[in-house]
Amino acid sequence: MSAQPVNTGELAVVGARVRKVDGRELVTGQARFAADLRFPGLLYASARRAGVPAGKLVEVDPSPALRLPGVVAVLLARDIPGPNLIGILPPFDQPLLAAGEVRYEGESLALAVGVSREEARRGAAAVRARIEPWEPILTVEQALDPAARRIHPGGNVTYSKKLVKGDVAQGFAGAQVVVENTYQTSFQEHAYLEPEAVVAVPGGDGRITVYASCQSPFHLRGHIAANLGLPASRVRVVQAYTGGSFGGKDDVATEIGALAAIAAVRLGVPVMIAHEREESIIGSNLRHAARIRYRTGALRDGTLVAGEAEILLDGGAYASESPFVTMKAMIHAAGPYRVPNVRVESTTVYTNKTYCGAFRGFGVPQVTFASESQMDELAAALGLDPLELRRRNALRPGEGTATGQVFTQSVGIGRTIERVAEKAGPRPMGPKPAEGPPAGAQPATDGGRYLYGRGVACLLQGISNGAEGIDVVGASVQMAQDGSALVGVGLTDMGQGSRTVFAQVAAEALGVDITRITVRQVDTDAVHDSGPTVASRSTTVGGTAVLKAAREVAGSLRSMAGLMLKCPPEAVRLAEGFAMLEADPQARIPLAEVATAAYWSGFPLMHLAFSRAPDARFDHETHQGDIYIAYNFGTHLMDVRVDRWTGKVKVLRHLAAHDVGRVVNPLGLEGQVEGGSLIGFALAHLERIDTEGGHIRNANFADYAVPSILDRLPTETLVVEEPSPAGPFGAKGVGEPPVAGAAAAFANAVADATGLRFTRLPITRADIAAALAKEV
Amino acid sequence: MQLEFTCNGRPVRMQADGSMRALDLLRDLLGLTGTKEGCGRGECGACTILVDGSPVNACLLYAAKLQGRAVLTVEGLAKGEVLHPLQEAFLEEGAVQCGYCTPGLLLSSKALLDRVPHPTDPEIEQALSGNLCRCTGYAKILKAVQRAADRAGRGDGTSRRGREAGR
Repeated sequence: MSAQPVNTGELAVVGARVRKVDGRELVTGQARFAADLRFPGLLYASARRAGVPAGKLVEVDPSPALRLPGVVAVLLARDIPGPNLIGILPPFDQPLLAAGEVRYEGESLALAVGVSREEARRGAAAVRARIEPWEPILTVEQALDPAARRIHPGGNVTYSKKLVKGDVAQGFAGAQVVVENTYQTSFQEHAYLEPEAVVAVPGGDGRITVYASCQSPFHLRGHIAANLGLPASRVRVVQAYTGGSFGGKDDVATEIGALAAIAAVRLGVPVMIAHEREESIIGSNLRHAARIRYRTGALRDGTLVAGEAEILLDGGAYASESPFVTMKAMIHAAGPYRVPNVRVESTTVYTNKTYCGAFRGFGVPQVTFASESQMDELAAALGLDPLELRRRNALRPGEGTATGQVFTQSVGIGRTIERVAEKAGPRPMGPKPAEGPPAGAQPATDGGRYLYGRGVACLLQGISNGAEGIDVVGASVQMAQDGSALVGVGLTDMGQGSRTVFAQVAAEALGVDITRITVRQVDTDAVHDSGPTVASRSTTVGGTAVLKAAREVAGSLRSMAGLMLKCPPEAVRLAEGFAMLEADPQARIPLAEVATAAYWSGFPLMHLAFSRAPDARFDHETHQGDIYIAYNFGTHLMDVRVDRWTGKVKVLRHLAAHDVGRVVNPLGLEGQVEGGSLIGFALAHLERIDTEGGHIRNANFADYAVPSILDRLPTETLVVEEPSPAGPFGAKGVGEPPVAGAAAAFANAVADATGLRFTRLPITRADIAAALAKEV
Repeated sequence: MQLEFTCNGRPVRMQADGSMRALDLLRDLLGLTGTKEGCGRGECGACTILVDGSPVNACLLYAAKLQGRAVLTVEGLAKGEVLHPLQEAFLEEGAVQCGYCTPGLLLSSKALLDRVPHPTDPEIEQALSGNLCRCTGYAKILKAVQRAADRAGRGDGTSRRGREAGR
């Protein structure tokens, strides 16, 4: 990465605390989500699910469903014109409708189309399926048994990679202290409030439009077209307002988007598929459950000399994003530290359970929990303060990550540690199990019922597609003669606020108020393919493309204004909705006049620009090389109070410091940190998809514990700005990173309070109460 | 059955199957799709509406139960172009991300503030504990409700009750 200085001069809109640009339609109920759309003749479709985790699919008989009133049609696998496959990385392995084999309980076998949602569901339930059940493969060990039945023709290993830096054997040989442990995490459900939904509407022109709650519309377009047996040009995907996604509305959106499109084309009418909550949980991807064996070696002064990890991920029935999650977990396993010798093996396996894929953090929360637990265990072994141990090892500019990638700037981990240290204050009150109350603490008056503890965790999270592939965004900016502008980017806003960020960047470059900017709905007919909306890349890579396009348009406006003000274009500044002389701001012309003149003079007022992140260059055997265009770095601190009797944990304090390069919208930033932290806290304390015999037992919000307002965290967002040359005005993404920080800090805080190291997430109330009861 | 009730201040008279869910009646027959379905089991609060001022999960309510009642949905909160103070506060505080839970949260909040103009944090938590939000982490929602309450408390010459009677 070049060491060019990042332009961070005076800014008007970037950095301002602004409201969501699409907020008004959301608070008035006017925003149309996919299931809110109505079309004449609309039919509804619902899938018959397998209901058994593994077996030979002998026969699917639609006739009982077709005899029901209100059921219009039933589609089977043979009715799919294309390959009947979806996935992320070829060769694709997931059928839209199963043929021959059932690999998980949520497998769709047939699609019933009815005149109402209810009748479609009744039809789906009436479809008769004959399945000869097989003994399901439910654990990673079973899957890896050489004698195991193969879930896919290529075997049960979905993906396996290794990272090798230096020589770990030599590293451990020189270590004075070594800690080792095995950590586990559980399946987590996205639980976005809007269940997945799509509507496919056939046009009279041989094209079909699919309105979808989705994350990556161009990904949908490709799969829908392929499975329809049509060229991509015959399919248009429009992203409806999307009620949360967090990585979860990729595969499943392609699945139901393609199914609805096939039904709609076949019947010649619009078809909607809208999942119920139970379907949403069972029939769409989860966060991988992980088992991570970790070993860390250090010198007596805390200097890390070696790290070794073996990551095993349960990926469920289909590959989905598993290859990339396998890699991302591996690349991040050594944390934001200087570790000269690293060896990581990372493997995902197939099992007969709901498939796993992208979920905010993408493997990083799991490995961060493991590596940050290791850091605390090491600190305890060395008698060092946990924050001090991290401070001593934190990456500095010019030093290599686990992949040997060197950043000469925007390496803010050290500063996030200092921010947290400054704000941390005294430890929470109350006795610790092994010692008396801390100096200065009030004597405990609770009869010893409560235990207090503090946990810290550091993390890094790669920004951009990195090792996952080419990273290009196309963005258009078009100015109208009234001085307002329309921005089009192929990246989606699922609630995280990227439309607002793009509007701010365009407003800044054009010198107009943010209310003059409209960021259009993502429509594959109207915006450039910008790849998937993943990897915290929207602000960084997308924002850069918007900035480039807006600057081109600003160039036209300055040229026109130069002619009008009789000066060279370089002497013109765009600000406050005017073109003005840099030297004499009173000499100004309203931008609308300049835009109108530019239009009549033939200056282009629309521009399409591209931002392409430098390609990842690395050795595919060792994963040594340059992977990401930037990293977000963070340090979290949590103070907790544990109820010895009930295991209940109250979070008294939560500091979340992140190096975001440059804050674009403080309101949006806090929202990402607060919301992401609560998902991390839930991963660590509350949420676990329970499976039994291949069946999910808690596919609803009564039994699956999504946090309510009563569980909210007292998060304080602390900002560190180490500008990155990769992003607009130095900005780096922040969507995913807080998840890992909050989860790992929670685990360390509970360990500190109880004196017990819990190695499996979630650490539930029941786990804590049981472990403490055993201690007494 | 013949159903008569008021919805967002307007009288509604219609034929409907009384055993359908109030949620479907609002969304499919009246076109009021601002009320969302998140779980269909009364566990998430996305479909919260006010019936005679009290928050109700419309997914658990028979349409017949609307007979003679006054229903408020999110579409009835703003007064023309002027947003309700809660809507303003939710935007100002960043209490909205994806927005899917927002209609339900706004209505639960309104029911609270109508009953308790200056609620304590525990009162707000209690009132909103049935409305799940996956995006925000809730802190900004709490602040938004406090902000709306403060604003209403400052007054603008009319009491809040008076303003609402005039809607």
